[in-house]
Order: sequence, then structure tokens, then C-alpha cells
Amino acid sequence: MVGGFRVIHLVRPFLAFLPEVQSPERKIPFREKVIYTVISLFIFLVCSQLPLYGIHSTTGADPFYWMRVILASSRGTVMELGITPIVTSGMVMQLLAGSKIIEIDNNVREDRALLNGAQKLLGILIAVGQAVAYVLSGMYGSVGELGVGNAILIIVQLCFAAIIVLCLDELLQKGYGLGSGISLFIATNICESIIWKAFSPTTINSGRGAQFEGAVIALFHLLITRTDKVRALREAFFRQNLPNVTNLHATVLIFLIVIYFQGFRVVLPVRSKNARGQRGSYPIKLFYTSNMPIILQSALVSNIYFISQILYRKFGGNFLVNLIGTWKESEYSGQSIPVGGIAYYITAPSSLAEMATHPFHALFYLVFMLAACALFSKTWIEVSGSSAKDVARQLREQQMVMPGHRDSNLQKELNRYIPTAAAFGGLCIGALTVLADLMGAIGSGTGILLAVTIIYQYFETFEKEKASELGFFGL
Amino acid sequence: MEAIDSAIDPLRDFAKSSVRLVQRCHKPDRKEFTKVAVRTAIGFVVMGFVGFFVKLVFIPINNIIVGSS
Repeated sequence: MVGGFRVIHLVRPFLAFLPEVQSPERKIPFREKVIYTVISLFIFLVCSQLPLYGIHSTTGADPFYWMRVILASSRGTVMELGITPIVTSGMVMQLLAGSKIIEIDNNVREDRALLNGAQKLLGILIAVGQAVAYVLSGMYGSVGELGVGNAILIIVQLCFAAIIVLCLDELLQKGYGLGSGISLFIATNICESIIWKAFSPTTINSGRGAQFEGAVIALFHLLITRTDKVRALREAFFRQNLPNVTNLHATVLIFLIVIYFQGFRVVLPVRSKNARGQRGSYPIKLFYTSNMPIILQSALVSNIYFISQILYRKFGGNFLVNLIGTWKESEYSGQSIPVGGIAYYITAPSSLAEMATHPFHALFYLVFMLAACALFSKTWIEVSGSSAKDVARQLREQQMVMPGHRDSNLQKELNRYIPTAAAFGGLCIGALTVLADLMGAIGSGTGILLAVTIIYQYFETFEKEKASELGFFGL
Repeated sequence: MEAIDSAIDPLRDFAKSSVRLVQRCHKPDRKEFTKVAVRTAIGFVVMGFVGFFVKLVFIPINNIIVGSS
């Protein structure tokens, strides 16, 4: 609709007020990009450790326990919201644009600016809403205890941190850094979590006195201090409720498996119509949608948990509420854990033994994981503009053809691989996640998959940047 | 039986497509796998320890900050 009203124009009045990172006026050298990336990461990490001022307590059960790793969120710090606002707004805008609810012409500069503005505005609104919800829900002690002043102060701190994350991500995306801030923060959060569980020097009191939290530290400590070396070794490898050496081995194994599957790809030969028939290739990876299915699946599960816990706390006896999920507090971690209803059945069994004693739960969980990841993956290619049709259009715009195929057959050929790669790749991602959780890998299967796929992408970006810096592929 | 067939057929087609896809896939050889594994492991460890040390440094700092309030 040329000149007609469009929803995206609603954002125009707000553009002037949104914080914005200027696009770089010159080509940023590779070394400077690395520096910007490291600085951004450091800012994020420091915010993840700064305690919130004014909070009364963080001792209550943490309803967001399940999703903190995925969303780079840290309890009781200014980075409580993590990347939730930016990820949520990004996904919402992607869905709206991809499903044509909002009309966007990516060839029009103004449309892209408006889309970015809309996404940023939505991120800020989500941050405000989420911060208010946190305070009102009593996450930091009841509002009565906090006082209105402190409550407002907490909300301001959370929103300010969310805006910082928004700006850091934009900084990296605009070309000052490498890759995207979101991926960087998620991956670092997960890697830190795993390294911490391996080498943490903090001690925790258990039945046999103080033990180190870190698996490796505990291993050496036990071997040094115990007279019975065999029992010490067994405890280090198999102790319960704290990270142990077997968990570490499982983590490494999953790591290697994911890397192996990352290398699977169908390479389709393509040729340029001009430039004297210059040849190239278009790879379609088995993990076509990368880690997106696991992100979406985790988001779905986390939201079910959140809603279920809220409802259970308020209407615990209601049949429908119990159907969604029933909860009780864990003796060990102090977290609520689902013990009945849908929330229970979509939770990973905690061990192989539990799988054997509750086979229906195990089967339901397995089918749910595989189906959810496959379906999310297949759906995502449509809404993210990476379906066979979209790819065919892109290749055509770049004047690329596939040798041996007529122009009109390009999409058909791509259709033989892309939907299957998306669905099967998503299914494999789900299977790997299940496998990781069953083996007790540190950081959860979801986390490891995310971290490995993100780091892999970073190295691909790294290679491209270095190549273009050296002028091998002058653009 | 037709109801079951109509449910199973898509699954069978999907399985067939998946098998064909995997067979057609280029798979990483030992050298390629090792290279990627080492680099990813380095990235993993670097990121992890950066976060680890920031956390380590902030534990005493946070004790001071929180302790004073």
C-alpha cells in the first residue's frame, strides 16, 4: 500500500527519544572490533555481579530458576532481567514481520530504521513491565517492607541495566564488534557457569563436613585429605547434589558430539550468471536453524513453569491449576520443583533410575522434546525468512543459478533439503539435549548446546572478519 | 487402519527424507573435527574463565558492599 497507513509508522514519534548507537563512519579494523567486543562483555559481566541496592531479601523461592542460564540472568543483581527484554522484543518483531502482520520492506531504509526503533521501544517496555512485576510479586521482599522509594529505585536500576544491554547489543550489531551481543552474553554466562562448577573455591556444608563446590577442586581436595583414596575417588566421581567429575566427563562428551554434528552439511553448487561464471557453493547445515529450536522450546517450558507456579501458589486446590502443574519445595536447592501435572511431564527425569520407575513420564518427555524442537525449527524458517522460497529469492537477486537446473527449479531443489534439514536438525538438537540431561552434564543440555553452537558461530564470524581484513574476499 | 496410515505416512516420509539428507551430507573428517573441536574448546575456556574471574573478584567486593548496607 503505497502511501497508505502502516502499523510500523506508529513508532516514528518515539524514534527521537530512543537511545541509539551511531553507525560507524569508517571501516572498523579487526583489532578494534575485538576490543569493543571484550569491553562489552566485561560491562555485562560486571553488571551480572553488582548487587541491587535497596532489596530486602532474595531468599524466597526463585520462580525464574529454570531459565536463568538461557537468558543470561543473575539473581539479585542489576542484571536480573538479563537479555529477556531484548530477546523477547526481537522474537516478537520477527514473528510480526515474518508473518506479515506488520508490513516491512527491507529495501526501504526508513522501514528498517522504524523496525529497529520498534524493537528497541518494545524491549524497553518489556523491561519496565518485567521490573514492575518482579517488585510487586515480592521477589525482593514485600512492597510493604521495601517502601515505595526503594521499590521505585529497584525498578529504575533494572530498567537502566536492560537499556545498557540493548545498547551493547546494538553496538556490536552495528559493526563495532563481532557477532551479536545476545549470543555473546548467553554463551559467556553458560561457559562461566560450567567453569564455576568445575573450579569453584566456595565451600558447602554437607553431611561429612565442608566440601568444595567445584568438581575439580573437590577431586584434589578429597584425594589429598582422605586416608582412604578409593572412597575419596568414588566420592569425587559420584557425589550427589554437587558437581562431580562424572558430570564433567558428560559435559565434554556432549561438547564433542555437538561439534561433530555441526560439521554435517549438504553443499549445493551454485554459479554466478555474470562475472564469467564464477563458481561457489551454498551449504545447508544439518543444524539449519542452529540453536533456535532449543531457545524456543526452553522459552515455552519456562513460561509454562512460571504461569503454573503463580497459579499454584494462589489457587493450589483447583483442578485445572493442578492439571497444569503441582509444585513442592526441594529439600536441597530450596527451589520449587514440579511433582505433578503437565509441568511435571515436560520436566527432564532426574536420572536413568527415575526413568525406569516412571516410564510414562520418560516417554512423554522424550516425545515432547523431540516434537517441540522439530516443530519449532520448521516453523522458524518460515518466520525468519530462511525458507526455501526466501533462499531461492536471495540467490536469484544475487544472480546465482544452480548448474543443471533451470531458474524455476531452484526453489524446488532447495525444498528437497531445507525443510528436512530444519525439522530433522531440530529433532537432533532435542535428542542431544535429552541425552545431555540424562548423563548429568553440567549446565544442562540446553546450556551446552547453546554455548557450543554460539561459539561455533563466533569462529565462523571470526574467520570471515579476518579474511575480509586481509583482503582475500574484497567486498 | 486408514487413520493410522494417514498419521504414519508423513512420519515415514519424514524419516525417508531425513535418511537421504544424512547420506547426502558432507561429514567432517578427523582433521576437520579436531580443528573445530580445539578452537571451540579454546573459545569455551576463554569465555568461561573471563566470567569465572570476574565472579571471583566480585565476591569479596560484594561482601563489602552488601555488608555495609
